[in-house]
Amino acid sequence: MTIEISLQVNGVSHKFAVSPTETLVDLLRRRLGLTGTNKDCGMGICGACTVMLDGLPVSSCILLASQADGAAVTTIEAIERDGRLSPVQEAFLRHGASQCGYCTPGFIITASALLAENPHPSRDEIVEALKGNLCRCTGYKRIVEAVESVARQGGPT
Amino acid sequence: MTDCRFTRAASLGEAVDCLQQAGGEAHLLAGGIALGILMNEKLLEPSWLIDLSRLEDLKGIRLNPDGSLRIGAMTTHREIERSAEIAGAYPMLIEMAREIACGRIKNRGTIGGNICLADPQGDPPVAMIALRATLRAVGPSGPRDIAATAFFTDLYTTALTKDELLHEIQVPAQADHTGAAFGKFSARRAMDYSSTVSAAVRLVRDAVSGRISDIGIGIGGAGLIPIWAQATEAALRDNRPDGDALAAMREALMEEIEPIGDDLYSADYKRHVASVILRRTLERAYARAAAVGGADKP
Repeated sequence: MTIEISLQVNGVSHKFAVSPTETLVDLLRRRLGLTGTNKDCGMGICGACTVMLDGLPVSSCILLASQADGAAVTTIEAIERDGRLSPVQEAFLRHGASQCGYCTPGFIITASALLAENPHPSRDEIVEALKGNLCRCTGYKRIVEAVESVARQGGPT
Repeated sequence: MTDCRFTRAASLGEAVDCLQQAGGEAHLLAGGIALGILMNEKLLEPSWLIDLSRLEDLKGIRLNPDGSLRIGAMTTHREIERSAEIAGAYPMLIEMAREIACGRIKNRGTIGGNICLADPQGDPPVAMIALRATLRAVGPSGPRDIAATAFFTDLYTTALTKDELLHEIQVPAQADHTGAAFGKFSARRAMDYSSTVSAAVRLVRDAVSGRISDIGIGIGGAGLIPIWAQATEAALRDNRPDGDALAAMREALMEEIEPIGDDLYSADYKRHVASVILRRTLERAYARAAAVGGADKP
């Protein structure tokens, strides 16, 4: 059986016929070619597949596509604006907050959602917001510093 | 892959009808957290998904005039964590929500889904045991109230029948001089599953004697189910939480829990952690009962 769903992805409206068990991450990667969203643990633990659903970070690996029906999805591909990196992305570069890069899209989505809601989070608030994203290369110091530098400037936009 | 049916229930009645028709072969889609994990791990291949997302009756938080609290089963952990009504009346539930996974999971995961999964490591089940919450189920013959203390019957198994679903959680009004707290141990601050041990404590502190006149304790991550620590409650009831009572508490707790050792932590280590977490959580609840009720007032 298939379900008809409509959703917005990065500002563009789409209609899909999905199976009840198809996940959002598979829809994004396979049908839309948006491979910036990474698939890793498949258990909602690591955060590599984080996207925003109506502005809130979610694990797209354990979210069924049907659950995104009627919602607006934002992936890493839409974080840059007019071909320019966002302040969070710039800060990750400047602080060397990315090494292998696999976790980076998830961190950037999570940090961008935090800063959209709270443009000047404290260090503790940043650590709290990022605690569910796992990095196995750099450690977290540079990542937190990168987000802190944007928080001091005043938000992601 | 077998074909999976999908029904987006338009009413509670329709959801119950589907469950009844499916005869135990359907799965309810709430936040979808556990469902997604189990499907990805190939531990579950659902033949019928019943989506509850459109059922407004399952959502929302309401603090009643008598001080009792109603939480719809589809309320997300995020909504609980940010609820001003809950923060004022039941701060222990805010502590509980803070301990759950991380923001990404709390944005989707629901309290009802968590409770019905009946994971022994889960945070809401032990909080509801300590608070003596009532879990209202709905089935073909209407609503049925089940005490949280009687809800968790076996590993990942609840008192719900196969054609019932959880409608709402009812937390009774708390007596004067009540203090409650939630405590959790984990090696990493988030996304640490196997090592967690948790304690939820609600107590009433006699304003004159300082004795504990009523107490509820739930212990998580220390056995096959979220544990209602009845003998541990009895060891503390009518006592002040000091020397002898704490020793009796520890002894009773050791009899009531049966932690399962894993790759990281042995069962003995978890036993020790459980007693420490319980003592610390008890101390916080006891201090709060003084702050709330005013221990010096009659």
